Amino acid sequence: MTTSSHEPKGSALLTTLAELGRDGVKRPSRAELDHGLNVLYSRITAGRVRRKGLVRGSLVGATAILSVLVVLFAASLIRRVTPVSVRALAYQIEGGRVLEGGYLRESGHAGVKLRFNEGSTFVLMPGTRGRLRSVSKEGARVAIDNGTASFRITPSNERHWWVESGPFLVTVKGTVFVVSWEPSSERFELRLRQGIVVVSGPMSGGDLTLRAGQRVVVNLSKAETLITEDQPEEASAESVGAAGPSVSTPITLEPSSTQPKTAGLPRSMTPAAATVVNTPNARRWAEALASGHWDSILEDVERTGLEAALNGASSEDLFALADAARYRRRTDLARDALLAERRRFPNSHRAIDALFLLGRVEESRGNGTARASAWYDEYLAQAPTGSYAAEALGRKMIVAKESGGAAQARAIAEEYLRRFPKGSYAGTARALLREP
Amino acid sequence: MNRYFVVTATAIRLPNVRTSMPSSRSQASLSLVVGQSRRDTNVEELVRGLIASEVWAIAETWNRFAPMVVVMAERCLGSRSEADDACQEVFYRMLSRVKTLREPERLRSFIYSFAVRVVRNALRRRKLRAWLSFEEPEALVDLTWGTLDVESRDLLRRFHRLLDRLAPRDRLVFILRRIESMTVEEIALAMDISVSTVKRSMAHASERLSSWMQADPGLAGLVEQLRGVR
Repeated sequence: MTTSSHEPKGSALLTTLAELGRDGVKRPSRAELDHGLNVLYSRITAGRVRRKGLVRGSLVGATAILSVLVVLFAASLIRRVTPVSVRALAYQIEGGRVLEGGYLRESGHAGVKLRFNEGSTFVLMPGTRGRLRSVSKEGARVAIDNGTASFRITPSNERHWWVESGPFLVTVKGTVFVVSWEPSSERFELRLRQGIVVVSGPMSGGDLTLRAGQRVVVNLSKAETLITEDQPEEASAESVGAAGPSVSTPITLEPSSTQPKTAGLPRSMTPAAATVVNTPNARRWAEALASGHWDSILEDVERTGLEAALNGASSEDLFALADAARYRRRTDLARDALLAERRRFPNSHRAIDALFLLGRVEESRGNGTARASAWYDEYLAQAPTGSYAAEALGRKMIVAKESGGAAQARAIAEEYLRRFPKGSYAGTARALLREP
Repeated sequence: MNRYFVVTATAIRLPNVRTSMPSSRSQASLSLVVGQSRRDTNVEELVRGLIASEVWAIAETWNRFAPMVVVMAERCLGSRSEADDACQEVFYRMLSRVKTLREPERLRSFIYSFAVRVVRNALRRRKLRAWLSFEEPEALVDLTWGTLDVESRDLLRRFHRLLDRLAPRDRLVFILRRIESMTVEEIALAMDISVSTVKRSMAHASERLSSWMQADPGLAGLVEQLRGVR
């Protein structure tokens, strides 16, 4: 869809957004399709079993009614002797909330914890996207769409727990384990501390039964499954504790192997310990940003004073302030907010993301191309597979071309195409390599 | 000391023969028999297979059309996870009604019409729930993002928030027309409404979106900035 110069302004803007809406959606991967087909088969099978049951039921109606009466009578007798105490599962959520569709939304930067009334708990690590698919008397089904989660499931004969993690299904028998799924690299990992789990998914040899102390890593893109066996260990306090942290206390978890490292930062970037004041307004800027009230954020900063704002805001709010300032072209303020993020929250994933955004800010300052390139380099060194890696390398290529010409950018273009052949800067990189 | 076992993984492939349905999800993943490729199966044969509940036909139909359904649903709902659920619903309903398909060559539009209905129902439920809970509907933008840069992602999030404010029918018509690039007649057929209703919905949606965007100079500025970059 193209935009003509005669088009009204609103319509032209809509066209641009519609193009974005079209380009912003990726086709499902092979693994996702296989997983979906498996789920469909399970559903069809369940439906057929129900239909067959109905047919048979109608044929033996009278006998069935009689049988039911007998069973009910027997059940009532058994119930009198041994009262059944299977309660419906109920849970409390800390550090987030449940949205429509069961999505678990983090309200801070410390992960989301769910505590069930029968003793089971699980924690989504910060930044992890997960869903509570179903909770019933019979058990619960949790889906991890992206990221890492720790589980401590209380063993029970009456209840079953399932954890979907990408195309894998973990059937839980009462255990402590950590599971992660990275859709971008199609990597599944499960580390079992206690108990037994059964892992189903696109692996040869069918279902895998894991014992305590075993760890399985499945790399679908390399068609490889690796099982390592460690000494069984008790669940550490780092995983899900029985007495979990409160909402205002950050949940400490084992760092994921995918988390960017902060070691090796230049001394000038090594920040002081983070302090967050958890006030009821701790997320006020993040919420204002989501509602598009950028000016109110900037006014808020002017009212409270820059220093106080930078030193008192939460990590999420600092990021929101940086975004609002970028959108309003207040590059100095955006830079200050991002540097404050790095200084005060050195171990957060936002501190790494801030490196990339600092590069963007420097670029928009016009004369900061050298500094922008340095920030992109720093980001790529800190998070070579981070969520902005492709963009950082792409922007670095653009900056190099602008400052030193095509010759200087050619090596970066080659690297970009090697690492991100389908990236959003791939076309630019190819064009650059074609230039004489 | 760690011991290592390396096993080569194989993607799930269903056998190319008629077989009983797997009784559980785990059993489906056990079958490693790879049959003759069915990629070149014609659509009449495919529909016959679907009517006879042949496993290969279900798998082939899924592989051919599920990507189309997921992408369309994700564009409409703004969430990959919800799109996956919608796709399941579409195929489940389609398989139970496939016997009513009179012209096998219309299988694609048959599936698409189920997709449109399922997505419309999902949007209606979302709207109703937001209304019943007396809360502002919360945007659940969970897109897979393709290859967008960070500014474009921000824009797209904001765009979906605006779409959330539209009525389900207007939203669906707008997306089918402007994003899926369908004709007015195709939309009318898929949504089972008249052409004039489609045109009215489209005009209404465009007008409202434009006015909301004009009222948000920040957003308009960002779009202009993006257009300048592109």
